[in-house]
Amino acid sequence: MTLALSHDPETDGLRPDRVPSILRRRRRALALDLAIVIAIAMSVGFSSAYLAVERAPAFGALRLGAWEARPRQGTRDADPYSTATHARTGRVPLAGGEGLMFLAETDSDGNTLSPRCDYEISGQAAPARLWTLVALDREMRLVADGSPRSGVDSRHLLRRANGEFVITAAPRARPGNWLPTSGTARGLVLALRLYDTPLTTGTGVANVPMPEIRRGLCR
Amino acid sequence: MSARARKTFSSLPLRALDGMVVVRMLLLLLAGLFLGGIIHIAIVLGVPGQVPESAYARVAAFGPDGVFNRLPDVEAGAEPLPMLDPMMLHAACRFDLGEGPLKIEAALPPPFWSFALFDAGGRAIYSLNDRTSGAGGRLEVLVLTTEQLSVLRENPPEGLEDLIVIETDALHGYALLRAFDGEPLLRERIETAMAQATCRRL
Repeated sequence: MTLALSHDPETDGLRPDRVPSILRRRRRALALDLAIVIAIAMSVGFSSAYLAVERAPAFGALRLGAWEARPRQGTRDADPYSTATHARTGRVPLAGGEGLMFLAETDSDGNTLSPRCDYEISGQAAPARLWTLVALDREMRLVADGSPRSGVDSRHLLRRANGEFVITAAPRARPGNWLPTSGTARGLVLALRLYDTPLTTGTGVANVPMPEIRRGLCR
Repeated sequence: MSARARKTFSSLPLRALDGMVVVRMLLLLLAGLFLGGIIHIAIVLGVPGQVPESAYARVAAFGPDGVFNRLPDVEAGAEPLPMLDPMMLHAACRFDLGEGPLKIEAALPPPFWSFALFDAGGRAIYSLNDRTSGAGGRLEVLVLTTEQLSVLRENPPEGLEDLIVIETDALHGYALLRAFDGEPLLRERIETAMAQATCRRL
């Protein structure tokens, strides 16, 4: 058997093909190549996965002014990045049949919200049966500690005759609609949760009113 | 040894000029990126099944499985689960469909409540609110796997057509009830209704 293999009449007498130079390397070079490939793969794979899970890229995000929502987050079609982020942080998304959460990290001029500033949130909110507005820090934790109320909701809101409202976000109590914030918090993010809203189905998104965020006094 | 080292050093610039080396390096980089992409996808898809701090795991701290446990009020610095609305009252129930189909019943008062079903990885399976529940503000839901549904269809129990039937392939997960805590006078009614909400095997 071995004899038959070593004497193949079809290849006997033929000289081996010239090996391309890219394959003609010593074993040590191969090990080095493998080490380089693995090093690149590890660093690229782990760092990009970490970044993607830490701040999920905004696939299918819905932007209305300064407000951003991810309608698919609370559905079966949630993208794997936001699923991984939610699983890792233990955050509970607002499911599609419940409502939709909008986050604002900047004011309407595009400046990042600062916990040391007062903000005026005015106008109208998108159609919903009920909405609530609370202040969070950069890590999406509640900030308004030490105040008896945690936020503002649509059922206890002072409105103008035309249905518009003005909410003042400030660390100290304000007359009118007051949204408590914390001057010592790390960052400021406003969370507007719309409950039972037609926006979750993604229809009628055009010309939907969302409140404006204007910066007031800063300390 | 030193002579050999000197030899490789002197040959380095020559090798760098070799076009093959550049091609080789590019190929290595490409292979690395490709493998890195596979690692990236594997990690991202693997995270939901691997995290110890998932919402599903945290819900276990609030009481036994198979019943609705009232979550503590959502307050700054003491949030039972991250990203819950502080203006809502919550109750959660962990389930295991391996033990049989699950029937969830609740009758929460207006103005607003909602119900959501999440799997162990935190993905929403099903959700509704008091207006879409279709039973006059009552919640009556049957959660089961595909096999359990086919068994159930052969011998349907009484009143199956009045239930909302949710078919899922997730064996473990939790159900979450949210009720709007707007009126202090209503709070007592919501607390009672949440205490009476059931989440048990059919």
